[in-house]
Amino acid sequence: MVEMNMIKALNSALEVQLAKDKNVVIFGEDVGFFGGVFRVTDGLQKKFGEHRVFDSPLAEGGIAAIAMGMSINGLRPVAEIQFADYIFPAYDQIVNEIAKVRHRSGGEFTAPLTFRTPAGGGIKGGHHHSQSPEAQFTHTPGLKVVYCSNPYNAKGLLTASIECNDPVIFFEPKRCYRGPFYGDPHNVPTWSGHPDGDVPEEHYIVPLEQARIVREGSACTVIAWGTMVHVSEQAIKDSGIDCELIDLQTLVPWDRDTVVNSIRKTGRCVIVHEAPKTSGFGAEMSASIQERCFYHLEAPITRVTGWDTPFPHTTEWDYLPSPERIAEAIKKTQEE
Amino acid sequence: MGTFAFKMPDIGEGVVEGEVVEWMVAVGDMVKEDDPILSVMTDKATVEIPSPVDGKVTKVIGEAGDILPVGVVCIEFEVEGDGNAAATEEAPAPKAESKPEPKAEPVPEPTPAPQPKSEPAPTPIPAAKVERAAGTKALASPAVRQRARQANINLEHVAGSGPAGRISHADLDAHIAGGAAGASQVRPMGASARTERNGTEDIKVIGLRRKIAEGMISSYSTIPHFSYFEEVDITALEELRQHLNATRPEGAPKLTYLPFIMQALVKALEQRPECNALYDDDSNVVTRHEAINLGIATQTDRGLFVPVVKHVEAMDIWQAASEMTRVTSATRDGKATAEELTGSTFTITSLGRLGGLGATPIINKPEVGILGVHNAKERAVVKDGQIVVRRIMNLSSSWDHRVVDGHDGASLVQLVKTYLEHPATIFM
Amino acid sequence: MTERVTATTKPYTIGRPPFRPGDDADFGGKFTEQPGDLSRPNPIKCGAQDTVLHATGLIRVLDDEGNASGEWDPKLDSETMIQGLEYMMRLRIFDDRMIKMQRTGKLSFYMRSFGEEAIAIAQTMALETQDWIFPSYRQPGAQFVRGRDMVSMICHCIGNTEDNVKGRQMPVHYTWKPGRFISISSPVGTQFSQAVGVAMASAYKGDDEVCISWLGDGTSAQGDYHYALNFASTFKPPVILNVVNNQWAISTHANLATGGRTFAERGLAYDIPSLRVDGNDFLALYSVTKWARERAGAGLGATHIEVFTYRAGAHSSSDDPSAYRPNDEFKCWPGGDPILRLKDHLIGAKLWDEERHIALAKKIDDEVMTAYKEACEFGDLASGPYPPASTIFTEVYETVPWHVQEQREELGK
Repeated sequence: MVEMNMIKALNSALEVQLAKDKNVVIFGEDVGFFGGVFRVTDGLQKKFGEHRVFDSPLAEGGIAAIAMGMSINGLRPVAEIQFADYIFPAYDQIVNEIAKVRHRSGGEFTAPLTFRTPAGGGIKGGHHHSQSPEAQFTHTPGLKVVYCSNPYNAKGLLTASIECNDPVIFFEPKRCYRGPFYGDPHNVPTWSGHPDGDVPEEHYIVPLEQARIVREGSACTVIAWGTMVHVSEQAIKDSGIDCELIDLQTLVPWDRDTVVNSIRKTGRCVIVHEAPKTSGFGAEMSASIQERCFYHLEAPITRVTGWDTPFPHTTEWDYLPSPERIAEAIKKTQEE
Repeated sequence: MGTFAFKMPDIGEGVVEGEVVEWMVAVGDMVKEDDPILSVMTDKATVEIPSPVDGKVTKVIGEAGDILPVGVVCIEFEVEGDGNAAATEEAPAPKAESKPEPKAEPVPEPTPAPQPKSEPAPTPIPAAKVERAAGTKALASPAVRQRARQANINLEHVAGSGPAGRISHADLDAHIAGGAAGASQVRPMGASARTERNGTEDIKVIGLRRKIAEGMISSYSTIPHFSYFEEVDITALEELRQHLNATRPEGAPKLTYLPFIMQALVKALEQRPECNALYDDDSNVVTRHEAINLGIATQTDRGLFVPVVKHVEAMDIWQAASEMTRVTSATRDGKATAEELTGSTFTITSLGRLGGLGATPIINKPEVGILGVHNAKERAVVKDGQIVVRRIMNLSSSWDHRVVDGHDGASLVQLVKTYLEHPATIFM
Repeated sequence: MTERVTATTKPYTIGRPPFRPGDDADFGGKFTEQPGDLSRPNPIKCGAQDTVLHATGLIRVLDDEGNASGEWDPKLDSETMIQGLEYMMRLRIFDDRMIKMQRTGKLSFYMRSFGEEAIAIAQTMALETQDWIFPSYRQPGAQFVRGRDMVSMICHCIGNTEDNVKGRQMPVHYTWKPGRFISISSPVGTQFSQAVGVAMASAYKGDDEVCISWLGDGTSAQGDYHYALNFASTFKPPVILNVVNNQWAISTHANLATGGRTFAERGLAYDIPSLRVDGNDFLALYSVTKWARERAGAGLGATHIEVFTYRAGAHSSSDDPSAYRPNDEFKCWPGGDPILRLKDHLIGAKLWDEERHIALAKKIDDEVMTAYKEACEFGDLASGPYPPASTIFTEVYETVPWHVQEQREELGK
């Protein structure tokens, strides 16, 4: 075990994969010589050569299409989209091509590729460096959607994503690259000393499609992913209510059993995500939960989310779900 | 002179710390705004930070190689004017010595979840419906519904104690524990929004209910009622009431509006003796009374009663309030004597919180008048050409038009109004 | 021009920049192309085939000694040139102040135009005031030409209570309707094809308006660049499409952005007259833009321009170019410093002198300092005040719909 922040853990996952499988190639904007604007691919070009880790032209649509072509022909590309906000030029390729090629070709062709992309707010990134567009992909059959939250699961989930034979959209909460974020912008710790900052240097996987119970509890189930896992953890602490916190980790296909079992135990549920409320993934979960847990529910399923507005710059702390808002929602479930 | 404390800024979109490469200033140095003070390396870039102010360096945190967390004060200056901070005693140590602890730890003392009780064996419960607001269904969480279904309980028959009358697990427990007792809360009729029902339940009108019914019929069918309404500005009265309550003698009851109204009635009825009378319509004699014995219409679990506060004309407001409380409480508790329940010469009816805007009270025969007291509320009223907020209370009254003329009844109410609007005059 | 450098070993070709950290950067000292090399075709009779040499060569007016010559010399009066010099100096001093504000936490992020000051300024000066400006984040200088107040610009960068975009966008994402300066958006290149649409609307309405847009060498890899050229080629609206080839897209060198020779040449394939111009030569920039506007105004459609320059500073306040290129690379750029080149020309022509230059710099510095202090009166990022949180919910739609209204009430601010 070595102490790593999320950047180093992701770097380690990529390094292990490059060493293990000669078909793994990494490319994207600034990922080669420079090692990525967030430094996730730092040193990999030097170690594995510029044909395996390289800079691409600035064209997300091109990156997606090239990745699909490579993967159809036997490579296992791991492409970076520099910010999730910039994934939309690639949307046609991802939604209409990559997601559907297995099905439309009768299983003859597949696209085992991974798109890594930093997502989420909290770095004063304004409209276009802060969004969390997971729901735009969870709505597309054929894609797996993964969202890590700490160094340990970042490496394990990325490893599992690269080894997965389906295309994976892998979201990295950039606010948590260097430390867990508990909702207080004036006090941002590093990963140092955090139990999930201990990361094995060797190969391991955190399985896809499995949620992680961060803490057990009996009074209410709180479901979150990415940065909101930590903000929810703080909110639970502040509320003094014995909540079960679930880090969903994989959004599609999500771990329904873990969620349903928890809610059958607690009877109450709060779903937290940064993305806007309307048609957010919380809406999908809420609908599925009531189908499976209706007669166990003691209170309405509640969502605490970003607002149905563009992501702001100066006032971002009024946009992101705060520990206060989440704690309030948790308390409200107890009033029923 | 003031202190300006400068915090390590986030210089690169989500950077959380920076390593000191070099401090270019030392304690005691005079610096100008924009002079380079610190070279710091983050995992994104090495940058030079300029001085934010003119001033003298009084404190510098960390040496080359130390890690400075974003948001920590890293340098302090003595500046002209107020500065932005109080000088710190102990500077926060750089990261080499102390790391920010991860904040979230497992919650030490969890509050146990409200757990549903173990599922009871299905118990048949007598079918009887709880009265709810018109058009409202029984409200309950899905989990309560599931339990009720398993227990063969129709939630339409369970009283809810939660917000908006929601039925909780505890309500369900109480219902199950109460068994048939639950039936006592029920009313016979009611419509369901969902299913057609055809059952009926006959309740015999007996006992007190029959007596009330007979009294009402007698009054309403023989007395030609005329009703008269007025609104009263009780802003001043309310002020006085608050004051009296705040300064009331020890052991004295808190004053509601009723004792004031009783006192005002004493004054008014003295001037309108035709209103404080009993009319024997068999012998066609109206008997005016000097004593002012005020009936106080009181709702009890068993029905309507009218206990009497006798000789109010001989009481001050505190005595009137105490006596009223005594007789109404006794009545509610079923301990009132026959004497306490008879002998009124005039009646006041107040529905308390259900006071409403107005009503047409039915005269407590053989009296000749009755006064209804309604909600006091702040309202926008026009006064001297301005819209102002005043506390307004409505009075309604009914009179036996056979022996009380409209003029007389109205005059009585106007007198009461004048007293209440100028509360000092009640006591003169 | 720089030679393409590539890794030629199998399996596929990887573009490389000419120099990496530790290398001695050397672009051969001077451009081989000289003023006077290229003719100035008649703008209203010129087709794409007449610009083949202009798309592969380099249009210059100022030589290495600061003398202006050749057919492209716009022969500007001294007043216009000194005005241009003043705008460029203002932009550089302004940028330095903004970076200091960023380093002290007063604003969150910044992008300088360092080394590229001439581009937006000379090109906007060559336009008419009714012309539309569709900038990337490296053309804020156009606002000086159009007369925007610096306090207003700084308030935007801070995102304080006087920010005209209400703290919604990152710094440098200016919008300024009075100057027909369209809101800058972070996704690169999107403005380029929108500009063609604006120009088509002007043509449709019969208005004498031209639309100008810029994007970078790196961004020219995006589909939007190619959509713009194709629509411009097909519909021939009054638009000027500039690729600012400043060699670097963050860490990615132009050699990784295209396998072709020049960016300008791409326009020829779309049958659009295409020019390549020294982007640090104020007079050449002014001249080619006038030429392009004349064509557009005459109804002859688009001009495609490669502005050949060098990004002397970091990509942004978050970037550290010493990790991927030699620190002193910009010092040996053959195009030099656009401000010094115009200054030298003016001094050589006896229209300017060192003393006046220093006095002007001091005057601008004072003005910028005053503007910065005034802007901070309305709040800075470190200590506020900020725009009210209610600004999150307004102007999402024309009117606030019920669900957004409910969320605003839930926030309670």
